[in-house]
Amino acid sequence: MNTPRVTLSLDAKAGPYQPGDVLRGQYEVGILHSAEVKAVELSVLWHTLGQGEEDLAVHFFERLAGEEGDVLDLRAPHAFEMMLPNSPLSYDGVIVKICWCVRLRVFLGRGKDVLTERPFQLGAVPAAQMLE
Amino acid sequence: MARILRPYGKKRGERRTGSKRLGSYGEALFFLCVLAMGAAGLYVMLAEWILPEWRANQHFAEAECTVLGTRVGTRQVDNGIQYYPEVWIRYRAQSQQREAWTYKLAPVYVGDRPAAEALIEGFEVGQTYPCWYDPQNAERAVLVRQYTWWLWLLLVVPASFVILGSAGLVRALLHTSTSAERRAALVQRAAGLELFEDNQAMGERYPGIPRPSSINDSPGTHLAYRLPIDVSPGWKLLGVLLICLFWNGIVGLAIGGVVSDFVAGRGSWLAAAFLVPFAIVGMGFIVALVRQVLVTSGVGGVRLEVSDHPLVPGEAYTLFFSQSGRLRMNSLAILLVCEEEATYRQGTDTRTARQRVFEKQLYRRESFQVRPGMPFEDECELVVPEAAMHSFQSQHNEVKWELLVRGDVAGWPDYERRFSIVVYPQGARVAAV
Repeated sequence: MNTPRVTLSLDAKAGPYQPGDVLRGQYEVGILHSAEVKAVELSVLWHTLGQGEEDLAVHFFERLAGEEGDVLDLRAPHAFEMMLPNSPLSYDGVIVKICWCVRLRVFLGRGKDVLTERPFQLGAVPAAQMLE
Repeated sequence: MARILRPYGKKRGERRTGSKRLGSYGEALFFLCVLAMGAAGLYVMLAEWILPEWRANQHFAEAECTVLGTRVGTRQVDNGIQYYPEVWIRYRAQSQQREAWTYKLAPVYVGDRPAAEALIEGFEVGQTYPCWYDPQNAERAVLVRQYTWWLWLLLVVPASFVILGSAGLVRALLHTSTSAERRAALVQRAAGLELFEDNQAMGERYPGIPRPSSINDSPGTHLAYRLPIDVSPGWKLLGVLLICLFWNGIVGLAIGGVVSDFVAGRGSWLAAAFLVPFAIVGMGFIVALVRQVLVTSGVGGVRLEVSDHPLVPGEAYTLFFSQSGRLRMNSLAILLVCEEEATYRQGTDTRTARQRVFEKQLYRRESFQVRPGMPFEDECELVVPEAAMHSFQSQHNEVKWELLVRGDVAGWPDYERRFSIVVYPQGARVAAV
């Protein structure tokens, strides 16, 4: 099975996003030969990185799935937009980091999936410094 | 190849080794085994013991029988002989005269012969008694009907395996068949968080930030809100006391045993040397306990009040401070600190790492006295730096803002009290909270 060519992009913006800003972007799934797309999930989420276990919360989630046995045709670009929340802001801490991203997961047959991410910054909190 | 087939995952700093998919399959297999064990145990208990006993009590037909004889049977088990009572009865069932050796539906095994004899001494040969037979198999009859209550209690064991296995299996299958984002969306929806609702309450419009309501519920006497203390010194004292009693109780018993061996002339210096490090740790606990007693009893209440809450970076607030008790203070300081907390698993342990990322002294006063009935009170300004990170709390990670009160008391152990505060992002409109 060939891997589909997945394109995910965010509209150009100068500087970081602020709470309440509208996030706009689009995605496109180019299908090659026998690659079949069963479903597509688009999420806008934050997740933690660092020493602790990863936490994840979804701000926006949309799933497109074909009917039983059908194949999704996503060759035309799909645009999306949503308003960003007030918190949590992106944070580059010492042992806790909060990362925002748009994540596109394309589900293929036989339990395989292709994941594409576009990270972005929400807010302008400066990086933390280690003390002691 | 080893990387592809690695069957386990480990957290190494900021990354995790191993295959998540393989881990989920392994988890599903484990819970399937737990479920199968529970189901098998449940089936055996129900089919062999509980349902037959229930049928005997509910559906067996009553008849009259004559006792023809009694005996005590034996069987050999690993740790000796077990005895069981039997009564030979003649009864009429389904138009036929029948004879059987019986007592209860399942044999009653006891550890000694007199106990078994006591169970059948009420049945006299030649006398008639009620008995019950199985309408589906009239050759099966019992003289004594009753429920064995502990059998029903034992059901808890396989039932808990079934519940644990089913829940674990569903969770593992959900993990393999759905994405992390979809699971998170489902969980958030189930938790009643409206993802796309515009008109949410102020608290819900700041996801990931702890609700300030627990602090705002307590009004102050001088300023708007009184801050709750993180851990009360009384609870801390109780914790230290329990640990001290537990540790030193065990060590004391062990030392007592070694000393009595020496008194009896068969003491072992090796055993005594082995106990030394444990005794040293025990003494450390005693020192900690004495210190905590002094801090709890000697240092009076500490009270902090704030002019508004939650706090917003860059804005100025008034902080009121009160220290009661009878103290001669070398110094007293109030600090604003921000700490990151990360909880992670290491093997079977759950650990929490802390890292301080901000500390600023808001207030300091040296060489003064606190007299009973005349608490020391003062005010200072509280400003969270502009562009500082807001409070954040998720399941395993936290960014925590606190006010620390540090006291250096002359001739007394130093003390520290922590008060949590909630900081919102810069520019947040907190008036509506």
